[in-house]
Amino acid sequence: MTILALSFASYLFALYKRQFLYPGLLLQVAYIISRGIELQRLPLVGPHDTLVFLSASIAAFSIPFASLLKNRKLFFNIVTVTTAIFTVFVMISKKHNAPLPPVLKTFWFECHVVLAFMSYALFGVAAILGYLYLREKENSLEGLQYRAALIGYCLFTLSMIFGGIWAYLAWGTYWMWTPKELWTSILWMFYSFYLHARLRQWWMGKPMAYLGIAGFLITMFTYLGVSLLMKSSHSF
Amino acid sequence: MDFFFSLRTSLWLLGIILVLFFAGAVIMPAHEEFQTIHSIPMFEWLMQQKPAVTWWLWGLIGFLAVLTLNTLFCSVESIVKKRKVTQWLLLISPQIIHIGFLFMLLAHLLSATGGSQEFAAAQEGTTLQITDNTVLRVKDIYINLDYYGYVTDWKVNVEYLSGGKAFKTDTIAPNGPSVQMGFNINVKDMQVYPQEAVLLQISREPGAFWALAGGVLFMFGIITLIALKIKMEK
Repeated sequence: MTILALSFASYLFALYKRQFLYPGLLLQVAYIISRGIELQRLPLVGPHDTLVFLSASIAAFSIPFASLLKNRKLFFNIVTVTTAIFTVFVMISKKHNAPLPPVLKTFWFECHVVLAFMSYALFGVAAILGYLYLREKENSLEGLQYRAALIGYCLFTLSMIFGGIWAYLAWGTYWMWTPKELWTSILWMFYSFYLHARLRQWWMGKPMAYLGIAGFLITMFTYLGVSLLMKSSHSF
Repeated sequence: MDFFFSLRTSLWLLGIILVLFFAGAVIMPAHEEFQTIHSIPMFEWLMQQKPAVTWWLWGLIGFLAVLTLNTLFCSVESIVKKRKVTQWLLLISPQIIHIGFLFMLLAHLLSATGGSQEFAAAQEGTTLQITDNTVLRVKDIYINLDYYGYVTDWKVNVEYLSGGKAFKTDTIAPNGPSVQMGFNINVKDMQVYPQEAVLLQISREPGAFWALAGGVLFMFGIITLIALKIKMEK
């Protein structure tokens, strides 16, 4: 918990001096590794471990995008506030320390979860870039938002494919009509819509920025809302 | 005809499909009828249910059918229009993504017409009729528990009999189903006390191959597209 508190403090200091983002990220990576060693498995089950992975992923993916920005200060401020908020939720959420059920001990599950959270993080970065575009009206920001969403969509699709293969091997079907699967389809369709909409002139600019922000709201509901509120194989 | 060739149509269709999915996400958890959606082929199940709870699913099927036509027409038109471009991989990769998507839809269609799931509780020695000529017999059940009572591993040895004679032995393990004549046999649940027993799931998923093929194509297409875009920018 000390490592998490230090990473939280580091993210807050990043509001004053953005270089503090790096130790914050490194501390979270160290925490994820320590959890992996403690549990002897990939620590990506339950809100505690998935939130810290999401927080670290947002911080990590923000770095290459920041290097392409003119005004990095506001971008880093929003990133650090987002990661700090997620870190608070990590600290108050319960750890899942029980051994994994045998069905979760597979390469397919690990790839499915890692890719899903990386894509969520990229959708988060895309939403931040969309917000910056709405504030600063600079076209390159909307272009960067598109890139983040496109790579996120690619990883999300891979995650769904790996999840389908895993479900088929574990439960004999690649599609189980659970609320999570339905919301995952909504999220995937939404970003399919986003990527196709950008091919039409009318949608360029503001509408795309709003779509990118809305996409992250759907992402968060798919991740936290469905897992906490609805009964499914993905429930926490 | 222009309607089917238009990207605007694609966007409208995707938008309507999204709305129908949202409706489904609200309706599904509130109605018990959906608990049995997997027990028989989905189209058969749909015919038995009241439209008041399944209208969104009918709508989805209808609009996905139109989207399929739209995707096909747009892909062909794109190839025909841009066939003289030098970077043919850049031209073809979005179409590979589209083919992957269509294969996934085909997979769902096949599973919706011929997919099924049945359950049976079994102990060591239990026999189950799989097809007219094939019987499955549960030989042994092994369940390993740790000090705290958590299941750490398990396996179920089975054999298939025809005319009273065993012709195949197999093991069902976590993420390792037994596959026989198009049926997947998995362990859905298990109990250790008072006697080791398992809940077997016997399922048929005719769309599985097409879903995998679609997934592989989609993956190939999207990775190629992103790699080419990065290369072009450099």
